[in-house]
Amino acid sequence: MRGLVYVAIALGLTIVFGMLRLVNFAHGAFYAIGAYVGLVVAGRFGLVAALIAAPVAVAAFAVVFDRVLLRRFYDKEPTSQILVTFGVAIVVEETLRLIFGSSTLPFPIPDAISGSFNLGFASYPAYRLLFAAGIILVVVAVWYFIEGTDYGLIVRAGVRDRTMVQLLGGNVQLASTIIFALGAGIAGLVGVAASPIYSVDPNTGFSFLVPSFVVVVIGGLGSFWGAVLGGLIVGELGSLTTLLFPAASDVVIYVAMAVVLLVRPQGLLGESEVIKG
Amino acid sequence: MDAILHTMGLGKRFGHFAANSDINFSVRPGELRAVIGPNGAGKTTFFNLLSGLVEATDGEIFFKGDRITQIAGPRRVARGIAKAFQTANVYPEESVFQNCRLAALAHTQGLFSLEVFRRSTRLGGVDRIAEEALELVDLAAFAQTRAGDLSHGDKKRLDIAIALATRPQILLLDEPVAGMSIEEVHKTDRLIRGLAKRMTVLLIEHDMNMIMGISDSITVLHQGKILAEGTPAEIRANPRVQEAYLGGHTEGEL
Amino acid sequence: MKDLRFYALTALGLVLFPFAIHPIGGYGGLATQILIVGIASIGFNLLLGYAGLLSYGQAMFYGLGAYVALLTVSRFFPQHPNFWLAIALAVTFVSLVAVAVGMLVVRLYGIYFALLTLAFAQMSYFLVFKVFDNLTQGDDGLQGIASPPLALGPWSIDLTAPLPALALGPFGDLSDIHYWYVFVAIVTFGVIAFSRTLTRSQFGEVLGAIRENEERSRFVGFDIARYKLAAFVIAGALTGLSGALRGLYETSAAPDILTVDTSGNFVIYTVVGGVQTLFGPLLGTGLVMYLQNVISAKTDAWRLIEGVIFVLVIVFLPGGVLGTLEKRRAGRRNIVTNALRTTPAEALPAAGEATR
Repeated sequence: MRGLVYVAIALGLTIVFGMLRLVNFAHGAFYAIGAYVGLVVAGRFGLVAALIAAPVAVAAFAVVFDRVLLRRFYDKEPTSQILVTFGVAIVVEETLRLIFGSSTLPFPIPDAISGSFNLGFASYPAYRLLFAAGIILVVVAVWYFIEGTDYGLIVRAGVRDRTMVQLLGGNVQLASTIIFALGAGIAGLVGVAASPIYSVDPNTGFSFLVPSFVVVVIGGLGSFWGAVLGGLIVGELGSLTTLLFPAASDVVIYVAMAVVLLVRPQGLLGESEVIKG
Repeated sequence: MDAILHTMGLGKRFGHFAANSDINFSVRPGELRAVIGPNGAGKTTFFNLLSGLVEATDGEIFFKGDRITQIAGPRRVARGIAKAFQTANVYPEESVFQNCRLAALAHTQGLFSLEVFRRSTRLGGVDRIAEEALELVDLAAFAQTRAGDLSHGDKKRLDIAIALATRPQILLLDEPVAGMSIEEVHKTDRLIRGLAKRMTVLLIEHDMNMIMGISDSITVLHQGKILAEGTPAEIRANPRVQEAYLGGHTEGEL
Repeated sequence: MKDLRFYALTALGLVLFPFAIHPIGGYGGLATQILIVGIASIGFNLLLGYAGLLSYGQAMFYGLGAYVALLTVSRFFPQHPNFWLAIALAVTFVSLVAVAVGMLVVRLYGIYFALLTLAFAQMSYFLVFKVFDNLTQGDDGLQGIASPPLALGPWSIDLTAPLPALALGPFGDLSDIHYWYVFVAIVTFGVIAFSRTLTRSQFGEVLGAIRENEERSRFVGFDIARYKLAAFVIAGALTGLSGALRGLYETSAAPDILTVDTSGNFVIYTVVGGVQTLFGPLLGTGLVMYLQNVISAKTDAWRLIEGVIFVLVIVFLPGGVLGTLEKRRAGRRNIVTNALRTTPAEALPAAGEATR
């Protein structure tokens, strides 16, 4: 289950990096905004409305963030990108904390889907199954977007050569904003969708962010399937070690990331080194 | 005389594309060898292989008899192979003098020094080496100018000065006169001739007049391989070389 | 600035600091804490400002320094608790860790370096929190470990003792300041002196050159990886020293000292104060910790304010508070300039490129 959340968050991260060369430490904040917006909307208008409102709200925020702040850092060193997105993440988290308080808030599941399915060998909460299905749907949708649409083409081309895309007349500005908003929207969607499972508190965004970076690094920064594969690996690694060697279950994913960075720094499915000169 | 630098079967592949293949190259101390070829022939890749900017996928490189194929860039500089970049690569915020001084410092102190207390000014000889390098390229008048403010041609000369300040035995010049005015080209021509008397010089250039006038010998690359080697007269008369260039760009006559 | 003048002013500043902090709501203990953390910030600055490496894992050295120092007193040598030994063991241990981690980490670029240091810091957090919890007491942490007295030749100084009472009006009372402050101030003076010497030294000059143009430095004959490793270890050692002092000062250490939050704090302090400036890290640490301690009593929004200040500094004052002030003054020729200036797009690693 965690693995799927990681996959979804990592997807947004990796697309944004692949296309925009942007390292976004604020990605977790997108998740958090989604969760809280979802909570508020669901309280008034129900879960379905929340599932729509949250990603939209987050995407809107992302666009504003991009236009106002992030644009200035597109071609700067990754260091300053990390710093500014890190700063914004703090601001967002603290704002949420001030508005909603620090305690963990439960997210109500509508009765219709709060039961369990009997799968024969085990009984499994209905919502979790729906959630899993939803994530898979999102992955497929994003895949279709990237492989099947024009904007997706720009994304794929942009991963290889941003300047080229610009020269060829692609509207890179617009595509950039769309990509960034898309990445944010996915995070926001996961934020609201996962909240019934993980509850809502100002820290969840960040607590998912760091493992998501691990996922992206293991899978390969900029690689779609890398994010998917990485998320599943990280999710499974965590579960496995919890069974076998509980004390190390948190550490193991970081060890895995360190190993990947040292042995194959571009990630499992990342592009091999671009040679200079 | 033994070769100061030679390669055996040297090659570099990028995926399926072979930028260089099967290069058996050899140059004697004190030679001025030009490396020419149409665009895309793999000349810059060859220099990058020699300087260590890029790692070879096949073959070996030998410098003064030692195998240096696996040795990283900085160590090759320390051994005496210096390269001036195709696009002038300087320290933009530093003065012209400091640019050379840093190179001289590297030469004098070695690859690494943990001198966390002493200033580099205490290290003898560094300033002198830098001054000499600047004199050679005739940039001494600009010593205190910020390197980033120099004109294009002057930046390229500074790049050469930096390479010289490492006291190399072999100097790789990648298109040293590209983009220069006629006057600057003449100046650089004289500079290179002067340098060639003191060290081995490998030169990539497109300016055929200059090449023919200045070189002891020429290696022609085509599609990543050596097409021909010989004196300027031999190369000029070689029909295969002429054919290779027919579709390419040259300045001046072949 | 001439050396003598510089050191005199620094000493003066350190003497006046605990007094000057009173009228604005501070207290002696806060001054001590600021200096202790400031030492780590100076280390971080060496790494980011002069070597160009953004580490999100300094908390690892900080936390390990604290734990080793406290464990030396409470577990390793309980019969003969020795202040100097605690510090020495802590710094040595942390330095060895820095060498080991550094060798793995320094060949990586920008984001990969930051993430890998983050990964190692997280690893150390969980190792302390869970894996070695019989040693470190896990979640509870180490508590109530009194600092041994400072042995200086024939004298044995209890660092927690206050200076003799002397009321100074709005500047508080001299007895608000403990010998801890005196000791830490002396150490800080030493660290500042070391930092200044280092940045002007041969080593510092090369580091700056690498920072300005790494490729050129490589092909002029400098071993880039060794220089970065050295900077990493020096920064780690300073951070470890800072952690050891903190541990002994607070008489306790808990796993949260190793979290990403802590690492993030060092980033904030140094960037706000001014990367690449000598006093920037101290200034930033002072400003932000003041915010955290004094303003936090007045409003819940203090961390939000901190975040907003941080973002504003990055966008509008890339050199930090001090860096921007210094740039306004006459051009002092620097080997390194704005840490956050634009670089040509080709210099950025491509999507898959992590090393060179």
